[in-house]
Amino acid sequence: MELEVDENDLNAAGAEVFANGGRKGIRIHGWLIESRTNSILNSSTVQEWEKKLETSHLPEMVFGENTLILKHLNSGTKIHFKAFDALCGWKQEALPPVEVPAAAKWKFRSKPFEEVILDYDYTFTTPYCGSGAIEIEKELNGTKISEETGNLHWEDCKEEIDLVALASKEPILFYDEVVLYEDELADNGVSLLTVKVRVMPSSWFLLLQFWLRVDGVLIRLRETRMHCIFAGSTNPVVLRESCWREATFQALAANGHPFDSAAYNDPSIISQKLPVVKRTTQKLVISS
Amino acid sequence: MSDLDRQIEQLKRCEPLKESEVKSLCLKAIEILVEESNVQRVDAPVTICGDIHGQFYDMKELFKVGGDCPKTNYLFLGDFVDRGFYSVETFLLLLALKVRYPDRITLIRGNHESRQITQVYGFYDECLRKYGSVNVWRYCTDIFDYLSLSALIENKIFSVHGGLSPAISTLDQIRTIDRKQEVPHDGAMCDLLWSDPEDIVDGWGLSPRGAGFLFGGSVVTGFNHTNNIDYICRAHQLVMEGYKWMFNNQIVTVWSAPNYCYRCGNVAAILELDGNLNKQFRVFDAAPQESRGAPAKKPAPDYFL
Repeated sequence: MELEVDENDLNAAGAEVFANGGRKGIRIHGWLIESRTNSILNSSTVQEWEKKLETSHLPEMVFGENTLILKHLNSGTKIHFKAFDALCGWKQEALPPVEVPAAAKWKFRSKPFEEVILDYDYTFTTPYCGSGAIEIEKELNGTKISEETGNLHWEDCKEEIDLVALASKEPILFYDEVVLYEDELADNGVSLLTVKVRVMPSSWFLLLQFWLRVDGVLIRLRETRMHCIFAGSTNPVVLRESCWREATFQALAANGHPFDSAAYNDPSIISQKLPVVKRTTQKLVISS
Repeated sequence: MSDLDRQIEQLKRCEPLKESEVKSLCLKAIEILVEESNVQRVDAPVTICGDIHGQFYDMKELFKVGGDCPKTNYLFLGDFVDRGFYSVETFLLLLALKVRYPDRITLIRGNHESRQITQVYGFYDECLRKYGSVNVWRYCTDIFDYLSLSALIENKIFSVHGGLSPAISTLDQIRTIDRKQEVPHDGAMCDLLWSDPEDIVDGWGLSPRGAGFLFGGSVVTGFNHTNNIDYICRAHQLVMEGYKWMFNNQIVTVWSAPNYCYRCGNVAAILELDGNLNKQFRVFDAAPQESRGAPAKKPAPDYFL
């Protein structure tokens, strides 16, 4: 279903939406917010990525051209989300593999001659919490080019995202959900990295979510939320909260929750049952 | 028109059968399937199809490209159900065709044709939603236990859902498996439905999950040589281009679910073999949006927090 936005709401907010093939977005209060969706990578691009990332395994479905971009035009501040950077994070974190329940039985199977045991993190767990840069548009020989001139400086802070204000039913002027990568863990669960965004007259809000369920073993949810209130002429501030949660099926069952995987299909329903393992709050002050 | 022909017409419109009709269809199917070998003999010409995963309208595209059964002789490599919206209609149509034209369509078992997997990945929930009880799921999963494990085309092309097993070096070893059971968690039958070819090993590899075999080029060479076959045709893994050869054309993966999960944007393929085993891959796209019964909706905007 395409979002039906009331023209009056858009006009009142001084906003303008656009859509063009796989690209769509909104211009509002000096921000350009745009999503792009496309197919999964083809085999030859997968090979290129494997080379660049120095790995022989990528998620089964890499939406390599999908992206969400939020750009503050005056300052050139660009926050964006893409699978490649998230996979760089996966490579760096390099968690040890998680054994599935059948592995216990498999230890007693007779080993084939010269068996190689693969040991990469097949869950594609990533610490990724978004990419960013200062990007200035330049004219070069009559054509416009973008040049990255610096990084974003996120600083730790005490402020928190105002979830109560976000719960109010302000009209949504722009909404999209973008999948970055997905793997079915060879039918042993799911690993899914997505980012969704909603833009209201008073602010934009996004949720980047890494969702992992290894059936019968483990649930892991790593979420990053960003919120920016449109505040007239003052310097915009983006708040970023990351919250990592994790529980084993055993621990969930011990606390009276179900053990079967079918009960854990929707992260938003079960997130509160998962203990927090890490939480950080940061802000980015944008100076024009 | 016989009841069965009427049911096939109904299923082709993506309308599910009544529970009582499913029950009697399954009873007839068991009589046919129980006679099939674990390595079911298939004659050429034949058209080989990979995973379908309940994408009913895309399977109709497949039949448009490949021709109708019984005019075309089909071999389906399993994974009829789960993930897509229409596992019930998809599997029942294939099963009804099997009962009506037993010599013109061969169905072998995929790893999703299992009680355990279908309870997690959609088929169980779909049966419950469409029938208000799980009886149809029970009838269907009982049929799954009777599906053959592999096929052999003109003694030259070995077809299986997943791949090879270190416990199997000859086709006769497959023939001795007692297949009428839920897919086990280990052993030869499990491997045939679950294992994958893998570029970075030459012999055998073990998945980082601690369960699941990977097999390399020399394993395939050895198997093909021992059993005097030209190549292996399997499914089980998504391929953006619809099919993929590995190890010097000794094994090919065929994938027949276009735009997998309604969002991957991949094409699908089927492999047509003529009477002389000449190959032709037919690549096809997902059914256009307007030909689908229910729209595959984008998630509606929500006030996520």
